[in-house]
Amino acid sequence: MRSKVRRLVVITATLLLGVAGCGETADEVVAYTSVDQVFSEPVFRAFEEESGRRVRSVFDTEETKSTGVLNRIIAEAGAPQADVFWSGDPARAFVLIGLGLVEPYFSPNAERIPSQFRAGNGTWTGFAARARVLLVNTSLVGEADRPQSIRDLADPRWRGRTAIANPLFGTTTMHAAALFAAWGEDDAKAFFNALEANDVRIASSNGEVKRLVASGEVAFGLTDTDDAYGAIQEGAPVGIVYPDRDGLGTLVMPTVVVLLAGAPHPETARRLIDHLLLASTEEKLLELGAHIPLGATSASSSVLPGAEQLRPMAVDYTLVAREMGRIQPWLREWVGVR
Amino acid sequence: MTQWRRAHEALLLSAPPALLALIVLVPVGTLAAELALAEGALALMGGVLGSAGTWALLGASTALAAAVTGVSGAIGVPLGILLGRTDVRWRGWLLVLHALPVFVPPFLVALGWFHVLGVNGYAGSPATARLFFSPIGLVAILAVTFAPIVTTLTALALQNVDASLEDAARVVARPLRVMGRILLPAVSPAIALGLLVVFALAFSELAVPMFLRVRTYPASVFARLGGIDYEPGEAVAMTLPLLAVTFALLAVERRFVGDRTFAVLGLRGRERATFPLGRWRAGITLMCIAVTALSLIPVLALFMRALPDGLAALPQWIRSSLWNSLITAMAAATTIIVLGLAAAWTIARGHQAGRALDATLMLGFLTPAGVLGVGLITAWNHQMTRFIYGGLAILVLGLIARYAVVGVRVMATAIAQSPRSLEEAAAVFGGGRIAQLRRIVAPLHVRGITAAWLLTLVFCLRDLDTVVLFYPPGREPLTVRIFTLEANGPSDVVAALAVTQIVVTTALLGVLAAAATVDRTRTS
Repeated sequence: MRSKVRRLVVITATLLLGVAGCGETADEVVAYTSVDQVFSEPVFRAFEEESGRRVRSVFDTEETKSTGVLNRIIAEAGAPQADVFWSGDPARAFVLIGLGLVEPYFSPNAERIPSQFRAGNGTWTGFAARARVLLVNTSLVGEADRPQSIRDLADPRWRGRTAIANPLFGTTTMHAAALFAAWGEDDAKAFFNALEANDVRIASSNGEVKRLVASGEVAFGLTDTDDAYGAIQEGAPVGIVYPDRDGLGTLVMPTVVVLLAGAPHPETARRLIDHLLLASTEEKLLELGAHIPLGATSASSSVLPGAEQLRPMAVDYTLVAREMGRIQPWLREWVGVR
Repeated sequence: MTQWRRAHEALLLSAPPALLALIVLVPVGTLAAELALAEGALALMGGVLGSAGTWALLGASTALAAAVTGVSGAIGVPLGILLGRTDVRWRGWLLVLHALPVFVPPFLVALGWFHVLGVNGYAGSPATARLFFSPIGLVAILAVTFAPIVTTLTALALQNVDASLEDAARVVARPLRVMGRILLPAVSPAIALGLLVVFALAFSELAVPMFLRVRTYPASVFARLGGIDYEPGEAVAMTLPLLAVTFALLAVERRFVGDRTFAVLGLRGRERATFPLGRWRAGITLMCIAVTALSLIPVLALFMRALPDGLAALPQWIRSSLWNSLITAMAAATTIIVLGLAAAWTIARGHQAGRALDATLMLGFLTPAGVLGVGLITAWNHQMTRFIYGGLAILVLGLIARYAVVGVRVMATAIAQSPRSLEEAAAVFGGGRIAQLRRIVAPLHVRGITAAWLLTLVFCLRDLDTVVLFYPPGREPLTVRIFTLEANGPSDVVAALAVTQIVVTTALLGVLAAAATVDRTRTS
């Protein structure tokens, strides 16, 4: 019996030591990302192969997309765990900059990115953008009837047959903030109230919007280009509309990378950022999820049909980030969460 | 025995259970302290508790969990009777297959049903999809997933009712009357425990309501943690009503269940005479097969979806997640058993300290996973404890805090079946309490301890809700990987990952069944 007890204690100690041994090592970098795992993980893997260093990553769940890891970074600020935050949109990165949680870094590879998509002080750099599009079920909506503006979501003709993602999360938050910034408080609120009156379905995520449209549960919905591309690749009967070509323009959101203050592995973190800003990374993301390259690449600018029709909306990302925080209480009221 | 030796023994015996209790109390206590010390705590609490929305959502979530519990009871109690004590054909196999969904994350069961009932599912249509993505769908899926808990506890308890009571009743009454008047009342604590566990699991479930787009309070708290204007104090304040529900559940458990299950959930059940179904046997067997099929359909759907491309792509996508799951679950289960044996002994013998410890461990299990997760982050995310928070150790701590009660309760149930006289005899000959534990209790209950370890291991393996909030970077368990890949990952790969989770769990359960069979053969 004594030997059995000893064996059990040895097993427990070995397991616990094994678990404790699975901690940090010097040759690694910790990256938190709200870019979909299916796109970001292959990029991290390419970096691992190139550099021989390991990327330990945390991905967002679909429900809390873009904010779950953001809040984890804020919560961990006292004892930072992450080195790099690769955000699915610029506004979340600006929240961290506003909180002083970002360390400036001028990557040599950022030079290829147009200046409007990177900070002059090195705090953030944008690349591989997505656009907010209307995904239309072509079996339910004829060519002539296709919506042309996001305002069509509030058109009584489509009552109960359209969808948007929960505006408290993901890129929809930024889109809402961009509308508040562009239209002003009253117009934006009126638009959202009109959506509510028109029984717009509030999906848990943009991926859900894609599912609802692809399956024909709704006629069209507002989503991101990577989700729209996914639907096309799956062979769903869908088409893409770049909304508001004749007016406001289509919201374009670069993914953004920042170096976090107090990063435990700053050198490897800088190398990872350099890798993310390579033309080959933008090409990879174009191929994987139709992310639009912002710097010069050897690939075409988009794999999406009709991408040449895109007319970008003029956006001041700093202003949008401010709006995003300001309108949260109202959005929560609108969604029904106190 | 010298006083020094007695004190030494007391210390050695009480330290492991105290450590176990501490692992549970640290996150819950830190959370409470955080709330008390939060800036404007009263205003935050007032804001949350004064909102009609809070109570409406909490009420709706409670109603949903109650509905799941009701349906689980309606399925589980009759099926437990049929599979536990009647002569239904293949009842052993049916019970094992019916129980399968309990041992995999409910989210995977929902994913399997999605491949069946979704618009493009094997039996899907817009109507089935609408039903699936609704509160009715949520209740149905969780009920089918959790009903086996009630079934199994009912069946096990029925096989362990004092034979003399039953034999006496059979002399004077018909079988149906014996079942209704003697057996069911005798096993009611086990049924109550089953229903309570189902309610707790349904109430704290995160992934399935999120997947089915049904709003529940715990899912809202989780989502609130992801809001752009995240306020830790507010998030903590939002957990207050959940803590109230937790303590209410604990009170119910203490009042109606407590240690009464030990008498009827022994692991040393022997074959009892079955109640013959006569001409109804074939029909009732078919009905039991149909109910069991509900457990198997989602699993089969996942297998079909995974074949062949998903399984082929598995090595590329699974990475270290399976290893992370296995090593953390094994470390947690082993620690629970090692630290919990003395606790189980104290609980089984009805000591006051044992009762308090049992209640503490039950608190960890009943506390909604999201609350426990926030507590663990608050407690362990500091520079000094970085070596714990930054690695797999935090997962082990989280799993111990949540599932310690599973291992300890199973061991206590086993120990409670053996007479106290053996230990008393050892004491007469000068054997101290440590010697009694090492030389009598542990060897006598090797089977029960092994069962406790495996059951705890399976519960740890299936966990998603507890660990999803704080899993360390790059060290996500398989369940988390499936969850984060589900929305945008290739669906055949996600199905293949789910199949891996199910196969690994089933293999472990197979080991459990094989060990039990070998042990039974050896004993007989």
